[in-house]
Amino acid sequence: MAIRVDLDKRLYDRRMSLTELADRVGVTIANLSILKTGKARAIRFSTLEALCRELDCQPGELLVFVPGPLNEEVD
Amino acid sequence: MRTLGPGSVSSLLKSVLDVVYIGLMVVAGAIALAGLAALLFRLDPAVFKGVAIEGASGEVLTRPEVLAGLFAAIGLYLTGVLVILNRLRKVFVTLTAGDPFHPDNVARLRLVGALLAGLEIMRYLVWVGSLALVPGIDRTGPSISLSGWFSILVVFVLAEVFREGARLRREAELTI
Repeated sequence: MAIRVDLDKRLYDRRMSLTELADRVGVTIANLSILKTGKARAIRFSTLEALCRELDCQPGELLVFVPGPLNEEVD
Repeated sequence: MRTLGPGSVSSLLKSVLDVVYIGLMVVAGAIALAGLAALLFRLDPAVFKGVAIEGASGEVLTRPEVLAGLFAAIGLYLTGVLVILNRLRKVFVTLTAGDPFHPDNVARLRLVGALLAGLEIMRYLVWVGSLALVPGIDRTGPSISLSGWFSILVVFVLAEVFREGARLRREAELTI
């Protein structure tokens, strides 16, 4: 998928580890990695809200469009 | 009454399928040995006195090559049934585990549908073959089982339902 959740810069700015963010947001590290690598199919508003709250940012600052092929459909 | 998960109806059906599968394996093994014996030792038709068939049909059926063909047809049919049962057992393992939309179930159900169709077609082919081999056979053809073909189509539709279920499951897994 061409949409990625850009967490690295926000985490660096806040001096926060991925593990800590996972704990605060209530999402597993594996799922955060799926978000980071653009493998996720969708993101819940509740997850996005928690991320924005913990990283003190707007959704538009987290979501990044990267040109590329779409993920293949599951058959 | 629970239909999915441990201790449910699925679990009971899985046990029934296991018993039937093992029973059929034993029967298939016995038939395979008998077929092999017919081929290797040109089995004396007199062994089958108890099932002797009178007239022209009986004469044809006592020919070793016809006997071997008969065993091969029965063996093929049983193999098809065994594969169907095996795939159904695997489907029911996922149902018992409470995971009906496992991606592998799609291919399993498609194979079951294809084999059911194949067995139905084989039934017609055996009838055509018997017409050629056994002159005095009853020439009324095998009835075309509408319910059988309906069931086959239902299995294919179910496979597609499971494919959609598997797709939705994957979507849910990748929704964070």
